[in-house]
Amino acid sequence: MENQTFYYDNKTVKLFAYATLFWGVIGMVVGLLLALQFIWPQLTFGIPYTTFGRIRPIHTNAVIFAFVGNGMFTGIYYSLQRLCKARMFSDILSKINFWGWQLIIVAAALTFACGFTTGKEYAELEWPIDILVAVIWIVFGWNMIGTIIKRRTRHIYVAIWFYLATFVTVAVLHVANSIEIPITFFKSYIVYAGVQDALVQWWYGHNAVAFFLTTPFLGLMYYYLPKAANRPIYSYRLSIVHFWALIFLYIWAGPHHLIYSALPNWTQSLGVVFSVMLIAPSWGGMVNGLLTLRGAWDKVREDPVLKFMVVAVTAYGMSTFEGPMMSTKTVNAISHFTDWTVGHAHIGALGWNGFMTFAVLYWLIPRIFQTSLYSRKLANTHFWIGTLGIIFYAVPLYWGAITQFLMWKEFTAEGFLKYPNFLETVTQLKPMYAARAVGGALYITGIVIGIYNLIITIRQGNFIAEEAASAPALEPISGKRVSGEGAHRWLERRPVQFTIAALIVILIGGIIEIVPLYLVKTNIPTIASVKPYTPLELQGRDIYVREGCYTCHSQQVRPFRSETERYGQYSKAGEYVYDHPFQWGSKRNGPDLSREGVVNGKQYKPNSWHYNHMLNPQKLNAQSIMPVYKWLISDDLDMSTTAKKIRVMQMLGVPYPDGFDKIANEDLMKQASLISADLKSQGIDCAPNKEIIALIAYLQRLGVDIHSAGLSAAAGTGNPVN
Amino acid sequence: MEINDKNPVEKDELTGDKLLSGHDYDDIRELDNNLPKWWIWLFIITIIYAVVYVFVFDVIRIAPHQEDEYNREMAAAASLTPIAQAMVFDTLIAPLTDQASLDAGKAIFDKNCVVCHKAQGQGLVGPNLTDAFSIHGCRYIDAVNVIATGVPEKGMISWKPQLTKDQILQVASYTMTLRGTNPPDPKAPQGDPCK
Repeated sequence: MENQTFYYDNKTVKLFAYATLFWGVIGMVVGLLLALQFIWPQLTFGIPYTTFGRIRPIHTNAVIFAFVGNGMFTGIYYSLQRLCKARMFSDILSKINFWGWQLIIVAAALTFACGFTTGKEYAELEWPIDILVAVIWIVFGWNMIGTIIKRRTRHIYVAIWFYLATFVTVAVLHVANSIEIPITFFKSYIVYAGVQDALVQWWYGHNAVAFFLTTPFLGLMYYYLPKAANRPIYSYRLSIVHFWALIFLYIWAGPHHLIYSALPNWTQSLGVVFSVMLIAPSWGGMVNGLLTLRGAWDKVREDPVLKFMVVAVTAYGMSTFEGPMMSTKTVNAISHFTDWTVGHAHIGALGWNGFMTFAVLYWLIPRIFQTSLYSRKLANTHFWIGTLGIIFYAVPLYWGAITQFLMWKEFTAEGFLKYPNFLETVTQLKPMYAARAVGGALYITGIVIGIYNLIITIRQGNFIAEEAASAPALEPISGKRVSGEGAHRWLERRPVQFTIAALIVILIGGIIEIVPLYLVKTNIPTIASVKPYTPLELQGRDIYVREGCYTCHSQQVRPFRSETERYGQYSKAGEYVYDHPFQWGSKRNGPDLSREGVVNGKQYKPNSWHYNHMLNPQKLNAQSIMPVYKWLISDDLDMSTTAKKIRVMQMLGVPYPDGFDKIANEDLMKQASLISADLKSQGIDCAPNKEIIALIAYLQRLGVDIHSAGLSAAAGTGNPVN
Repeated sequence: MEINDKNPVEKDELTGDKLLSGHDYDDIRELDNNLPKWWIWLFIITIIYAVVYVFVFDVIRIAPHQEDEYNREMAAAASLTPIAQAMVFDTLIAPLTDQASLDAGKAIFDKNCVVCHKAQGQGLVGPNLTDAFSIHGCRYIDAVNVIATGVPEKGMISWKPQLTKDQILQVASYTMTLRGTNPPDPKAPQGDPCK
C-alpha cells in the first residue's frame, strides 16, 4: 500500500496542556487554603463561599477532574494519534471535548461555592452538570474510538487498552452514581438511600480513583516512559495479565471504604479480599515500568522527565500496597476517619498523578514547540522541591493519624475514655497540620518553577499546530483469527470487541455486590421506630448537605467500645433508609454527629448551644477549628421547595401520608415555632423561618429514632446475628 | 505479514532479551519476557488469602463478624463499666478545699464545662455559676448531683459515664469557688436566689 501523508493535531494537545497547568495551580492553591483553615479557622472569612465544607469539594474536584483530567486528555490526545498513526477522528469533537470540559470545571467551581451539591464525595456535581459531564465524556469516547477505527496500525497498543477501559468504566460509574430526581435546577435527591447509596457511592468513589487516576495514567506510562527512556517494554505478557486482572479486580474493592460500617459483613469481606488481590496487578504496572528502564538507569540520573516518572511509578507502587493494607479490618479500624487516608490519597495525587503529569508535559511541550526544554536545572529543582513537598505533606499526616487514633481509643484504668472531649484530639494535631501546609506550599512552589520553565520553553520554541506524518494505509485482513494468531493478539486488532470485553469484565463485580442489597431483604433489616424526617428536619438536612458538613463530621458510629462510649450505640443499616443521600462521611475533623440529638446521650447539646456554636464556635471552644456559620442565622429558609421535596421523597418510597406535601409547610412552621420559643426562653431572639432553626431541628433528630427503639446492642445491623 | 512473522529472532542490544516481532508502536517495542516469578507467586498468595478469608468469615463463619467482636470487647470491659451506675453520694459531704483537688477540678472544668459555662463560669448556654442564684439548688451536694446525673432536657448531660466519682467531687468543689468572682460579661441570673 502507498504511503499516506496526514497531520497530527497538536493544537488540542497544547490547549489541554495549558488548562492542566492553569487548573493545577488553582486546585492546589485552594488545597493550601484548606490546609491553613486547620490552623486558622478564621481563614474561612465568615462567608459561605469560602467555608471549608464548600471549598473542599472545589479542591478535590479541581485536582482530580481539572488538573489530572486535563493532564490525562493532554497525554491521550498526543499519544493516541501517534499510536494509531492517524489524526484525531474529528476536530469538532476535539473542540467540544476541550471547551466542554473547561465549562464543566468552571460550572463546578461556581456551583460548589454556592452550595449546590449532591453531598456525595467526588460526585458532588448537581444534575444539570452531571448530564453535561456524561455528554462530554461520550464525546471524548466517540472521538477516541473513531480515531482507533481509522488507524493505520494493525494492533492497538497496551496504552490504548487502558484508555478504552478508562472510557467505558468512567461512563458506567458516573451514570449509575448520578441517578437523581430534580427538585429545582440546582437541587436533586439521589434515588438510592442509606446503605445502598453508600455502597453505590463508594463503588463509584473507589473506581474514580481506579479508572480516572490510575488506568489512564498507566496508559500514559506505557507510552511516555519507553519513549523517554528509548527502551522496549519489559514484558508484553505482563501487560496482558496485569491489565485484565486490574480492571476485573478493581471494581469489587469499593466496600473497603465502608469497613466496620453498617454495610453487611459479606460485602465488607469482598471489599477486603479484592483489595488484597489488587496488590499484584497494580504492581504489575510498576514492575513493567521500572524493568523497562533496565539498562537505562544512567539516563534517569540525567533526564528530569525520567526522574519524575520513576518517583511517580514508585509512589504508585507505595500507595497500591498501602491501600490494600488500609483495607484490612485490622488497619482500617485505626486508620479510617483519620488523616492517614488523606496522606494516602496525596501520595497518589501528588506523587503518581502530579509527577506523571509533569513528566508528560516536560516531554511533549518541547516536542510540539520544536525546541528543547529551556532549563534542565530548573526542572531538577522542581523535581527536588516537589519530592520534598510530598514527604513534608504525608509524614506529618501519618504521624498525626497515629496520635489521633491512639487518643480516640485510650481508656483510663477506671474504664473511662482518656480524651472524652473530641477537640483535644484535634488540638494535639495542630503542629502536624502546620507541617502539612508547608509540604503543600513546597509542592506548589515546585509547580510554579515548572510553569516558568515551560513558559520560557514555549517562548523560545516554534509551535507546530499541524505536524506532518506518513504511514501506509492498513491492508484489509480477515476479521477472524488467522492461523498462529493468539486470541489476545486477535482482540488487539478488534477495538470494538476489545471495548465490549472490557465493559463486561468491569460490570461483573459491581453487579454481584450491589444488586443483592436491593433484592435480599435481610441485608438491610428495617427498624420500626425509624420514621421519615419532618419537613423542617428535611430542610435542615438539605442545609447540612449544602454546607458540606460531611467533609468534617461522620454519621457512622463503628462497633468499637471506644466509639460507643464516646458517641452512643453503633450504627445500624436500618437507621438510614430515608437518607437521600447518605451522609456517613469519610473523615472526622470534628466528632461524629449521628447521636447528636439523643437527649440522654453523651453528645447532646441544647438548641441554644447549637445557635451559639454556629454563630461563633470559638466563643464556646477557644481551640475549635469549626468555621463560623453566621449566615444561617440571618438567612430565611426557602420554604417554596418543601412540597416538591416531600413529593419526590414519596416517589422514592418514603412513607409520608397522601397529601402531606400540601400541609408540609404548616407542619414545618409548627415545629420551627417550638424551637424558636425554646431559644427565646434562653434569651435568644430568632424567628422560626430562619435557616438555623431547620438545621437545629435536623441535628436534634439525629439518633433519636434508633435510641427510642431500645434495641439491644447486638441486634439489627445488616448482619443477622446467629 | 505482521502476524505470521518468519523473521529471525531480534534481540534487545542492552539486555539480550528477545524482542517481539511486529510489536512496534510509534517506535515503542515490546520484549518477550515472562512474568516475574515472584510476581506470579505474590498474585497466587493473595488469591489463596482471599478464598480462605471469605470461606472463614462468610461461609463457615468461624471468624468473628463485627458484632461478635464488639460483644467480646464489651464483655471484656464489663468489670469496669458498672462503676458509673453504682455512683452514690452522701448528702452531708462538704466541698474539697485542698489545692490539689481544686486544681484537678479546674482542669476538668476547662476541658469539659467551659463549652457551655464559659472560661470563668460566667455562663453562656449554661447558667452563670458565679452569681448568687441557682436553678437546681445552691448547696454543694446540689452541684454534685447536677453534674453526676445531669438535667438532660435543659442540655446539661450526665457526667457519670465520663468522670469518676472523685473527679465529679473535684469539679463540683471547683465550681463552688467560682461564686462571687464577678467575671466580665456575665449571663443574667437564673433560678432562685441563694440564701
